[in-house]
Formats: sequence, C-alpha cells, structure tokens
Amino acid sequence: MRKFLLVCALFLAALAPLPAAAALQVDVTQGNAQPLPIAIPDMISADPSQAQLGANIAGVIRADLDRSGLFKSIDPRAFVEHINNINVAPTFASWRAINAQGLVAGQVTLQPDGRLKVEFRLWDVFGESQMLGQQFFTQPENWRRVAHLVSDAIYERITGEKGYFDTRIVFISESGPALKRIKRLAVMDEDGANPIFLTRGDYLVLTPRFNPTAQMIAYMSYIATKPHVYLFDLETGRQEELGNFPNMTFSPRFSPDGNRVALTLENGGNSDIYVMDLRSRAVQRLTTDPAIDSAPSFSPDGRQITFESDRGGTKQIYVMNADGSGQRRISFGAGENGTPVWSPRGDLIAFTKQQGSHFTIGVMRTDGSGERMITNAYHDEGPTWAPNGRVLMFTREASNNRGSQIYSVDVTGRNELRVMTPGDASDPAWSPLIQ
Amino acid sequence: MSQSLNQIRAKRAGLQRPPRPTTARGPRAGLAVSLLLHAALIGATYFTWSRMLDASPESHSVPVDLITITEKTNVAAMAPPPPPTPPKIEAPQPTVEAPPLPQFQQVEPAPEPPLPKFKIKPEKVEEPKKPAQPTQKQTSQDFAALLNKLAATPKTPPNAKVGPRVVQGIGDANAMTADLADALKSQIYHCWSPPVGAPNAADLVVDFDLALNPDGTAGRVTSDAMSSGNPYTRAAAEAARRAIFQCQPYKLPQDRYSQWREINPLRFDPRQMMNQ
Repeated sequence: MRKFLLVCALFLAALAPLPAAAALQVDVTQGNAQPLPIAIPDMISADPSQAQLGANIAGVIRADLDRSGLFKSIDPRAFVEHINNINVAPTFASWRAINAQGLVAGQVTLQPDGRLKVEFRLWDVFGESQMLGQQFFTQPENWRRVAHLVSDAIYERITGEKGYFDTRIVFISESGPALKRIKRLAVMDEDGANPIFLTRGDYLVLTPRFNPTAQMIAYMSYIATKPHVYLFDLETGRQEELGNFPNMTFSPRFSPDGNRVALTLENGGNSDIYVMDLRSRAVQRLTTDPAIDSAPSFSPDGRQITFESDRGGTKQIYVMNADGSGQRRISFGAGENGTPVWSPRGDLIAFTKQQGSHFTIGVMRTDGSGERMITNAYHDEGPTWAPNGRVLMFTREASNNRGSQIYSVDVTGRNELRVMTPGDASDPAWSPLIQ
Repeated sequence: MSQSLNQIRAKRAGLQRPPRPTTARGPRAGLAVSLLLHAALIGATYFTWSRMLDASPESHSVPVDLITITEKTNVAAMAPPPPPTPPKIEAPQPTVEAPPLPQFQQVEPAPEPPLPKFKIKPEKVEEPKKPAQPTQKQTSQDFAALLNKLAATPKTPPNAKVGPRVVQGIGDANAMTADLADALKSQIYHCWSPPVGAPNAADLVVDFDLALNPDGTAGRVTSDAMSSGNPYTRAAAEAARRAIFQCQPYKLPQDRYSQWREINPLRFDPRQMMNQ
C-alpha cells in the first residue's frame, strides 16, 4: 500500500505544473513608532450656549491623548472640513489632506431633565470606517470626567489596552521651608485638575495608597508622635487608625480585592511585614527575618507579595507567596534596590535603584530578569503604576533641596512629563480606574 | 677603395638623410587623426555631461536610515510647558467633602450612520497556483526511511523519466522578487506605527492579503486579524491597515506587475522593534 501511494505521489509530482506567478511575500519588521495624528474638533451643539462646553470637552480629550505620547492631536486651525452633523460620515479626503488618521466627531446636548448628553464617533480616516460610537449622560458639572471617559474609550480602541485618564492621584503636597516642611495629603485628577487637600498639615503624612475602589486611602501619619497607618474615607472624610499596634507601622498597601492591607511593623529595630484583614481586623505575620523587611506590594492576582529586605546585606527585592511562604530574592543587579511595586498587568515590577547618591526608576520581570532603567536623573524614587500597567509616576527631587515634583514616564522610558501640582509634591499613588 | 669609400659615404648619407615622406599624404593623415581625437574628446565630454545632467534612474533601494524608536517618539520629553499658576486652594480645610461622584448611564451606542460605499474594484487576479506542498511534515528520520525504501525498490515507475529532475524557477522566482519585496518594505515601513505596548509581542504579528492595482494603489486589503477577539491583535491589524492605505500608491516597476499585484502574506511583525 505504501509503495502504491509513493508511486502515485511521484506520478502526481511529475504532472504538477511549475508554480506560475506566486503571490509576493513581504515581511515588514521595522516600523516608525510615532504618535498617531488625530483630529478632535470642538464638539458641536445645537444650543449655542453649550458651544463653550463642547470646546472645553474636546480640549480635555486633546490634552489627555497628547499627554499619553501615543497620539498627536492636530491643531484645529488646520481643519478643512467643519463637522455639522456627527451622524453623517465625514468627507474622509479632507481629513486625509491634513494627515489625520483618526477623527473624533462629538456633540453635546443639554437634556430636558438638565442632564448633559455627550456622544461621539471615532472614525478611521484611511480605512473610511467608524471604529467606535458611544454616548454618556451626566450632570453638566461633571464634564471633565466625561471628557476623560471619552479619552479612555479612544485610547482603548486604538491601542488595544485600557486607558487611564479617568483616574486620580493621591500625593503629598509640600510647602514651607526645607527644615519645617508642611506635608499634606492631597488628591487630584490624573491630569492635575481639581486638586483637593485632605489634611491640614498639622502633622506629617507619608506613603498614601488607594484602595481598589479609589474610595479609601491608607497612609502613614505622625498624628500622635508615633507613626501609624491610617485609613481615610474619601466619601465621608473620616480617618481612623488601622489596628492598635504598640509600635510604628508604615508602608501600607491594599490587596487587589481591597479586603486586606499589607504593612510593615517595627519592633525593637526589626521590621517585618504583616497583613491585616480589614473586616475581621485579624493580623498575620508574614516575615520573621531579623533584617528589615518592608514596602510590601501585592501581585494583581493577590497570590504573591513583593517587598524589600536587607537580609542579604544590602537592600534588595524579594517575592513571597501571600501567606509568607516561598520567600526568594529576585534582584541581583548593581546597587541597592527597593520600593518594589507590582504592575497591575502582572508582568513587571517597578522599583527604585540606589547607586551611591543616585536614585533611578527601573522595571524588571517578576522573576528579576530583564532589568532596565527607565529614568535617569539625580534623584527619582517611589514608582506607582497607571491601572493599565503602561505608565508610571514617581517623585523627582531636585538637587540642593530645591523641592520635589511628580513626573510620569512610559514604561518604555519615553515620554517623560512633569505632572502639574499646586506647589511641590511627592509620593504619588495612582488610583485604579474609577468605577 | 674609393668606390668602397663612396659606397660608405652614400650609405652614411642615406642614414643621415632618410627618404622624406611624400608631402601628398602627410596632411591628410594628420587631419584624420586630429578629427578623430577631437571627435573622441567631444564625445567624451558629451557623454560625461549628459550623464551628469540626467536624473538618476528611479531605484528601489532598501533604506538604510532606519530611525530608532527613541528619536521619533520621545514626544515632549523633559520639556514640560511652564506650569500655569497653580490653583490657589484655600488654606486649612478641616472637613473635606469628597467630590460628588457622577452617575453615568451607559446607553447603547448611537446608531450607525449609513456608511459611504467604499468602492474598491479589486483587480480580477488569477488565483496563483500554489506549489505542491507535502501534506504532512516529515521528520528527517521519516525521510531517511523513505530513501532507504527507494533504494530497496529499484523498479522505476512506468512512464517515469529516469534521472535527476531539476525543478527550475522556484528559487529563481524568489531571487527575482526579493527586490520587489524590499522596495515595498521600504515604502511602507515609515507609515507603520505599531501599538508596541502589548505584554505579549506575538499578539501583534498580523498577516494581510493585499491586492495592488496597476497604479500602485491598494485594492483588496484583508486580514483575519481585523476581526480578532484579542484587542491587541485587532489594534495591530488596524495600525497595519492604516499604514497600507497611508503609504499608497506604491512605486513598483510596471513591467513586473504580475509579480507584485498579489502580496500574501504581507506580514507586519514588530517583535524586533520591541526587542522580543
């Protein structure tokens, strides 16, 4: 049988004609990574009194997308076509003429019930097709949030990953002379708008962290001379001390489900990591090493915790299971490495590297491989991830005690930008996407 | 003696005064040489100048000035605009109210407007005949076993030509179209900005089936990745499609249209760019 098949195969092969003009095969492996040119005209409105609102919303969307470094909004003065009706396909040729690859046509309408309707369509100018169409209803005073939501939708549709514009930043606002610094807890929108102070500055506050619903903040404060971890409820404005520990507690961090807080408890010069269940208030000790173990951060699945420890002689990054088992060192690079933060995407851990007096931000894979530095300044520290794991914020201290500022940078190390804050600022923590 | 002396003198005189060329032919030959040399000189000058004046013929060279990602994408890095006057926040706020949380209603997306008919008349292209492919991948061991078997059966199949059968054309075709592939790549790469943020770079590799019109514009542009359930893959496919449309029309040699009218697969693979 095999022989017969072989004979048949050879016979057919002999008969098979030579391939005629076969299709050309092309493998494009090099591109030109550039921000996507996108046209975002002011949103139109049937009611002239809403025209300014439409312009404001478009302005926030343009600023959001530009800030990401992945888009470049086109100056509206270059537009050839004026959008009059968002329910009609635009003249694509006139948008191609100004090299727009995307077009966002939007409209604002004040509803009879006083609510604001914001609708938009995202067009693929070269593909001549609609990529997205959505509408939102909200109170008119929430127009900035709607703008951020539209930005997130556009970002997600075009890049394939979730946006991060509808988020907030909690940070430490600093003022006053270097030796008598006033540090206050503050929150603002991701773009720096709507800053609000949460504490009066009577006492020192440090290391604020959001919970997964962005409604609660854990932070360390020196309220009663001894530093302790406190919780701040954004809805009620209420603060409470977390647990009743006899000694100093610091570096709190919520678990991804929001039900637990990992923190560091100092006891007679030995710092160890503990986890407190927020409902039962039960406390579990995770590390017992006589060295300093600190700065815990959960993996997004809640099963592992990364932390820093000097048990090996220098400060390095470790990973353990959420119950404290399986502790292992993952950072073996040069210098000392600390403040590890697990990416919300789960693939990377961001950290601060110290070499002499030089502090920089880096990322590594969760097994410690692939370490690369993404900033290069005199003193950068304390990274925090955007909820999509694509962008980081951190504190940059100027030399000579000239204050500190918050900066953001893409995980690739590109698009480093200063985040505008009222006065000096440090210790940012990025909220999850607001629900 | 005198005779011999005379002979010697005569010889010397002959040596000293060789017979002069006839003056009748001399100027003509000189003129011819002169004309020839002048013509050569003018010809050479003309040839050189004409080469210099002619525009260099269109070439499809592969670009060597590949741009590094950093140079082009570090948008506004380190150059933040001067901060606006920070909003003055009233000093101590003992009780702070959280900002009111807006209530959103996600309503069904607005109705799709009538899309303009995107008329593309794809060239009727003959289905390229695919080269015969083995139905099953054989391991080297299987292949060796096959060879053994062939050796063991010396019988030649009936009506088969005995002797080596050289398949010509396949390798030649690849060599002939390599320059076309390079030409197309060099025209498309600078329009291609892939979304390089995906955690898994392999999700971003997308294949297109592209039919080009004789004028170099894109006719049929299809890819399964356009309808991928993976948002990264879909975004990568859309970015590639934007590149195809943005960089058209492609300048390729007209006389070889049959070789470039069908490109399949046109693969976009950003893994090198992402160092993965």
